[in-house]
Amino acid sequence: MSTENAIKSAILEKIPDANVAVAGGSGGHFTIEVVSPVFAGKGMLESQRLVYGAIAHLMKGADAPVHAVDKLTTRAP
Amino acid sequence: MLSDALRQQFDDLVKKNKVVLFMKGNKHFPQCGFSAQVVGILKELAVPFETVNVLSDPAVRDGIKEYSSWPTIPQLYVGGEFLGGCDIVKELYASGELQSKLGVEVKAVEPPKVTIDDAAAKAIKAADEGNGEHLRLEISPQFQYDLYFGPKKAGDVEVVANGVTVLFDAASAKKADGMRIAWVETADGGAFRIENPNEPARVKSLSVTELKSWMDQGKAFELVDVRGEDERRIAKIEKARVLDAETEKHLGTLSKDTPIVFQCHHGGRSRSAAERFLREGYTNVYNLEGGIEAWSTKVDSKVPRY
Repeated sequence: MSTENAIKSAILEKIPDANVAVAGGSGGHFTIEVVSPVFAGKGMLESQRLVYGAIAHLMKGADAPVHAVDKLTTRAP
Repeated sequence: MLSDALRQQFDDLVKKNKVVLFMKGNKHFPQCGFSAQVVGILKELAVPFETVNVLSDPAVRDGIKEYSSWPTIPQLYVGGEFLGGCDIVKELYASGELQSKLGVEVKAVEPPKVTIDDAAAKAIKAADEGNGEHLRLEISPQFQYDLYFGPKKAGDVEVVANGVTVLFDAASAKKADGMRIAWVETADGGAFRIENPNEPARVKSLSVTELKSWMDQGKAFELVDVRGEDERRIAKIEKARVLDAETEKHLGTLSKDTPIVFQCHHGGRSRSAAERFLREGYTNVYNLEGGIEAWSTKVDSKVPRY
């Protein structure tokens, strides 16, 4: 499975109703956009934590497949 | 796993210091762009802050991620509270929330005076998809510009120039007074050119073809070769003078806004020299990008390559 798909399914596992777009990948840098009603009324920190929590395992260690998330956007539809 | 000792160490750090930034590098030499942006914001707000270089210890680097439940660096703590990484800090800074958490007074910002030329106004109108988004201009503490269409946010400062509405966040608005947005045609198509009198002087880039046209136009400027005699014997640009004691003395007699172009083999050493002259107060300092190598390949093939 590509890293992009791994990111996508990890997020969907945690937030099943989300609409997830993942772009990039060069050098392990990604841009992620997640749209879900779960973010309604949540602050940016709480929203981003939810997503980062879902993909933390992909960002762990020295040779992690996800080296950096250049931009993470979370919003309610 | 985060050891109890390390957890205690983090607890102490964020409780004893009002502002702590876990980052790559230190405040003088950030070693990652995201860390540098947060350092730039904290410096601009002129608040004292501690930094912890996570690159100096892998246990700290992994430990802080677990401590904050946040997988990326940098991480900013204010008053013992985790605020977030680069994106969130930028957002809080733009909205003024960061300033209020830090106890920095946010003054109402006067709308800046902005000039947009006709061609730029036309290009902006052509790009507007009419979906209710507005043209936004963000200016980072390092004076990097981001011009894009986006939603209106609380605290925005609105400016109308040449029939175009531009939104600035408060921090950007403070850096925008007197700026000019023009549209220029380049070899790669049209592009916006931003001129901003609030920018600190910086080393400007000059291409070898621009240098050639300066020479052809008889423009007044100094061209300084920072390489040693050994390399100059192999190849040199005729007009260039070597950076020796005599040249230093000559440059010292010039007015500080004289255009000075620095040149070396590939453009690296000349940039360091240019930055030194900038620190000494010269305001019109150029680096010849690509150096004599580019001069030889693009302008004058009679100059040997080495």
